[in-house]
Amino acid sequence: MAEKNKRSISFPRYAEYNCAFKYIVEQALGARYVMPPVLTKRTMELGTKYSPDFVCTPFKTMLGSMIESLEAGADTLLMTHGLCRLGYYGELLEQILRDLGYQFDFINLSEYDMGKKKEYIRIVRRLAPGVNPARFLAQFLEGLHMVEYLDEITAEYFQNCGFDATGGDYRRAYQDFLTAMYTAQDRGDVEQGYRGAKRALRAVPLDKPRRPLRVGIVGEFYTAMDPFSNLELEQKLADMGVEIHRWMNVTNQFLRYGSGQKNLRVKIQDLCRYDMGPTSTANIWYARECAERGFDGIIHIKSAGCTPEIDVMPVLQNIGADYKIPVLYLTYDAQTSDVGLMTRLEAFYDMIEMRKKVL
Amino acid sequence: MEHAYLGIDVGSISTKGVIIDKQNNILSSQYIWTQGDPIGAVKELVRLLEGQFDKGAYKVVATGTTGSARKLVGAILGATMVKNEITAHAVGTTTFYPDVRTILEIGGQDSKIILVENGVAVDYAMNTLCAAGTGAFLSSQAKRLGIEVEDIGDYALRSTHPTQIAARCTVFAESDLVHKIQMGHPREDIIAGVCNAVAANYLNNVGKGKKIVSPVVFQGGVSKNKGVVTAFERTLGCKVIVDPNGHLMGALGAAILARRGSGRQEFDFSVENMEFSTREASCGGCPNRCEIICVYRGAQLIDSWGNRCERGAQVR
Repeated sequence: MAEKNKRSISFPRYAEYNCAFKYIVEQALGARYVMPPVLTKRTMELGTKYSPDFVCTPFKTMLGSMIESLEAGADTLLMTHGLCRLGYYGELLEQILRDLGYQFDFINLSEYDMGKKKEYIRIVRRLAPGVNPARFLAQFLEGLHMVEYLDEITAEYFQNCGFDATGGDYRRAYQDFLTAMYTAQDRGDVEQGYRGAKRALRAVPLDKPRRPLRVGIVGEFYTAMDPFSNLELEQKLADMGVEIHRWMNVTNQFLRYGSGQKNLRVKIQDLCRYDMGPTSTANIWYARECAERGFDGIIHIKSAGCTPEIDVMPVLQNIGADYKIPVLYLTYDAQTSDVGLMTRLEAFYDMIEMRKKVL
Repeated sequence: MEHAYLGIDVGSISTKGVIIDKQNNILSSQYIWTQGDPIGAVKELVRLLEGQFDKGAYKVVATGTTGSARKLVGAILGATMVKNEITAHAVGTTTFYPDVRTILEIGGQDSKIILVENGVAVDYAMNTLCAAGTGAFLSSQAKRLGIEVEDIGDYALRSTHPTQIAARCTVFAESDLVHKIQMGHPREDIIAGVCNAVAANYLNNVGKGKKIVSPVVFQGGVSKNKGVVTAFERTLGCKVIVDPNGHLMGALGAAILARRGSGRQEFDFSVENMEFSTREASCGGCPNRCEIICVYRGAQLIDSWGNRCERGAQVR
């Protein structure tokens, strides 16, 4: 395809997953990828200004990020489908952006039936008409591979970074890994980046007690995973000297969950009988898993007005009472000051630390 | 000379300070209004504490700060311990009431509940996003009704038929209250209704899903309001303990934590005569434009914070 006919595709910032979107767009579709700028206060201001007031915070973040992508030269925006209100967001986002006067092509996955393989081919044909489906599939799977590596390394990082004995080497090794993923051009780069990160992380001396404090993170899919949206909760808590465990990520939720979903529902049927939203079953299951594994605390994260996660809270309260494990509930809105969060996190840390000494 | 420990709690509305000895006896204590000037309030507080304090017999060897201005005040006073107010309240209360199980706390702008087992906090909750049902609501309603906030309790206790007031949200509560006033409900009943609304709002929000077990200790500025205490006792069906020093509990906790901590730094009462100032600098490193607060003693920069990354640290 001629260089000038290539689409410039973008997808809003979402934790560190944009490296995989970039890989798939560039390598599998052969199109240009426009990396949305890192989320900042400006993103939030833009998003909040043009959003309905009572919509959940991820909508505002995504809208802000989309505007910044368009400013950076994107001509095609991709929007995901979803199992909660998220499924309707694409249409609303497109309308708001059109009203603001932007010119772009909008591909809303909610308009496709994501359960059918034929639909995927339709999307690919629309994004990159000349691309060979077999070649696309091979590179697409490589992109998913990157997601798996990213989730694996990130989980390892947050379990150990609070115990770095060198004062920063662990964090640097993780940053180097992210850089490698953001710049990967082919399978070799991805594999090399992953193996290098594994080695580098293992080489850093850790100063970890035999029984460290362990906290499990559950919550709404966007806010629980995106560090900008949760004001870097995981890093802040880890830096106090805590092992952070979060099951939920793209790998576990989408790539490996599919076949296990039924089993999760069965496993929690004594706690709740219905699926209450996109992530509720997994959250309830994992919260109990944390309790049974003897974790010191659970933190539940949601954006204001997230109905599925509000439904999860009473079940978590039961788990907290049954297993005598403290649960901290945090609600985020478009605020960017972390003073209130620090007060609650410090108090939570003090509590689980003092508790561990007594119990 | 015996060792003593200073604890200071700077809240949104009031600033509290205590000096205790090794046995937790209060040597000196003060409670003044913050009035939007935490630095000025702390200097005044230190001056007042010094007046009651026997400098010949004791010396202050460690200082703890807590409350929403703990960091700022900690930098100014050279504190050896800077702790969040939840931990400070838990530590203070469990020291004086070792068998307490539930701590209710309502302050000027926030409210929290702390559950205690075997003398250790095991669960807590704090209001998020909304300051409904805190001291600020009570004082604005007192002003509307033309009475002093200190007198609310006495009015409330005189009522025999408290008015029903919607407690879900401060804004709705206020319009409901105005409506009831205009309908001709007696003032005592309205005030008792407001006190009930505060207790109900607290239990429905902060206390939601928490198992409240006796002994219950109630503290924070609102605990001085007998109307709210009675409302809690009636709703919970158990006695609610209000310590005469309940308003100082955060400061006491900070002093106790300073004593237990390892940091030692003799406190210099001359801070009351020093000039402190703060300046806000905006970092230009990225669109986050972090607001960095720089604290000066005279012309000397003593501390700064607010930057999210190292780029902001260079402003120092």
